Amino acid sequence: MIKTSTQNELIQYVYNELADDAREQLEIALMHDNELADDCSDLLLIQRLLDGATKTPSDRSINNILNYSKSLSLQS
Amino acid sequence: MNTTTQMSDSALVSLYISGNENAFEQLVNRHKNKVFTTIVLIVKDTYTAEDLMQDAFIKAIHTMKSGRYNEEGKFSSWICRIAHNLAIDFFRKEKRSPMITLEDGSNVFNTLAFAADSAESLQIQEDTVARLRELIQTLPQTQREVLMMRHYADMSFQEIADATGVSINTALGRMRYALINLRKKMLNGNIAYDKNIYSE
Repeated sequence: MIKTSTQNELIQYVYNELADDAREQLEIALMHDNELADDCSDLLLIQRLLDGATKTPSDRSINNILNYSKSLSLQS
Repeated sequence: MNTTTQMSDSALVSLYISGNENAFEQLVNRHKNKVFTTIVLIVKDTYTAEDLMQDAFIKAIHTMKSGRYNEEGKFSSWICRIAHNLAIDFFRKEKRSPMITLEDGSNVFNTLAFAADSAESLQIQEDTVARLRELIQTLPQTQREVLMMRHYADMSFQEIADATGVSINTALGRMRYALINLRKKMLNGNIAYDKNIYSE
């Protein structure tokens, strides 16, 4: 059973928010704890999938925004 | 070569306020996908999301141009927060149920960049991410909120905790359960979950 505090550190580790000393300790734990390593692997997989789930807006919308900004600059 | 490409968001904002439109274009291109995705995940309608994304950036333009921009926070978090609030306001005003509108019958997330490039694996990836998007909607609101803030608004867990009025451990716990729940739902739905497909 993995402690909740360790699970939270695992989340911070996966998202690169763990302090250096805590990260080193967790990486040592990952080498010796298969359950923790499996959890880490699963989290990284879902994270990568979520990162890939972005949507791109149309060029027309982007041009509208940029043109609006330019028009304001011309007025001032 | 465009000299603004390597600049920090903060430097680009300063340049833009001083009248450099190229700096603003760089900011928009840098953050447009995350802003748009934040809105799409809430309103579930790509056409509405296009309008709201424009509103979000126009609001940002006015705030920066009028000298009211607060430089203490990150630009990415700020602009995604504006987008998030506009999307929520839209729902409140419309008082309507979520509805998915897709362009040309395609998946919502149809602009993915994955390592594998065969037609079959690309189709599996698109189906998987489209399903993932649906599953995000089934998460409890507190878990979905943390997930969106961290993934699409680039907010740190401490920033999320501050914004939502909870401790950082609560924010981390909600994120953990969000990811665990998504994984369970994907496995239960027999969704392709091949580590080889998503590895670099």
